[in-house]
Amino acid sequence: MKKKGKSAGFLRSVGEYALSIGVFIVVWWLYVGLKDVPAYILPSPPKVFKSLVEMFVKGSVYAHLWTTSYEVVLGFLIGGFLGVLFGYVFIKIDALKTMLMPYLIFLQTAPKIALVPLFVVWFGIGLVSKVVLIISMVLFPVLSGMMLGLESIPPDVRNLMKVLKATKWQVFTQVEMQYSLPALFASLKVGIVQAVIGAIVAEWMSGKQGLGYILTYASSTYDTPMLLAGIIVTIVLGIVTYQAVSVLEDRMLYWHESKKA
Amino acid sequence: MSSEYSVELKGLNKIYSNLLKEDTVALKDINLQIKPGEFISIIGPSGCGKSTLLRIIGNLDKPTSGTISYRDGADQQMGFVFQDSVLLPWKNVKQNAEFPLVIQKKQTKENEEKLDELLELAGLSEFKTALPRELSGGMKQRVSIVRALSYDAPLLLMDEPFGALDALTRDHLNEELLKIWQKTKKTVIFVTHSIEEATFLSDRVIVMSARPGQIKEVVTIDLARPRGDVTRNDPRFAEYNKYLRGIIG
Repeated sequence: MKKKGKSAGFLRSVGEYALSIGVFIVVWWLYVGLKDVPAYILPSPPKVFKSLVEMFVKGSVYAHLWTTSYEVVLGFLIGGFLGVLFGYVFIKIDALKTMLMPYLIFLQTAPKIALVPLFVVWFGIGLVSKVVLIISMVLFPVLSGMMLGLESIPPDVRNLMKVLKATKWQVFTQVEMQYSLPALFASLKVGIVQAVIGAIVAEWMSGKQGLGYILTYASSTYDTPMLLAGIIVTIVLGIVTYQAVSVLEDRMLYWHESKKA
Repeated sequence: MSSEYSVELKGLNKIYSNLLKEDTVALKDINLQIKPGEFISIIGPSGCGKSTLLRIIGNLDKPTSGTISYRDGADQQMGFVFQDSVLLPWKNVKQNAEFPLVIQKKQTKENEEKLDELLELAGLSEFKTALPRELSGGMKQRVSIVRALSYDAPLLLMDEPFGALDALTRDHLNEELLKIWQKTKKTVIFVTHSIEEATFLSDRVIVMSARPGQIKEVVTIDLARPRGDVTRNDPRFAEYNKYLRGIIG
């Protein structure tokens, strides 16, 4: 009975989702048709769909999709790891936090797009400059999440570990990491979205590969159907990577109040 | 330092210094000798330093002056039961209870069997796979007690473990605690603000006074064991309570 209710609920939400997108496409189609909008301003849905299918059938998109995904995943992993590391070190060593935090806040508040030309000068137009930008965008939210998580550990849990004569490593792996997970995942979900944005922006500015490059190429050649198709691929990449983090969160936070069935 | 006593406190003082106000004397000249296997309760008005004293015995806080010696020396193993159960929310009942064995790398077959017995004794056998969020307050505290006993530390420190529970659950858990104590023969130091609880459980009750936190009197409770409902209806039980209430004032 309960299971049936659950799958019916799932079907219903899929239905609502499809309906919402369907209405949007119909309105778009009607607008283009009735107002006779030129295709280079706003192509009709079938034109965009055709361009999208062509990208995949002819296979021109795969190399770009791969490049962007690779940058996103690599930058996200490194940025996430550094965020966790810095978050932990900052909580443990207050002096380091006082010394380094201003730079990180500066890095966070500075419009990072402005830094891309600098990264290009320093790291070239290849993979490295893009990954560096992504790291800079992922690092801060993850670091904040990690610090918040570590600070939310009940004092008596630390006392328990002390009574048990646990080592620092045991405290970290058995207690601190686990207690940090809820805040950490909230920040990782922000981070993965930032990573996709970072990759696209960096590709706009430099390089001959990636979804960002497709967008600028399509834009400069007035190939608006391709531009919109590229945007759709980018959105899908964003959703897929976000969902991957989300699924991981559901699996690792099965015990948390927020995951109560 | 080792001692023939389970725990021996000599001239213990705890002073909190404050730049703006006068120093707060939390504990003043505490001397206490606790025999192995004894059940000791510490009671007193709030702010008398009873929790601080327990935390100092548990090495979670340092005295300003004075010495503590344990029977097994400086690396005395002890179990600590906190006011809140502090179970790890991602571990189920069994995993929480065996957590100390994991930390201290003592997951032998023998210890696992002992743990199963303890879980059985605490009435938790059927809930081994339940997560903390699925348990009532009383159940959580039981798991916490089993966890403190799991690694067979001879000394058990309890800081108002049943303070947040309703009266019925508390009475019930008191009886269960005595059963476990009789079976495991631990030394127990039990901080509480309930006079009846202290009388019911203890061999000796340490009565403390506030500001400065001092031992006012040590009362030996000479009621027959095993204790149960009969004890609570014993007129001498009421007399002890009345007497203790009189001292605390």
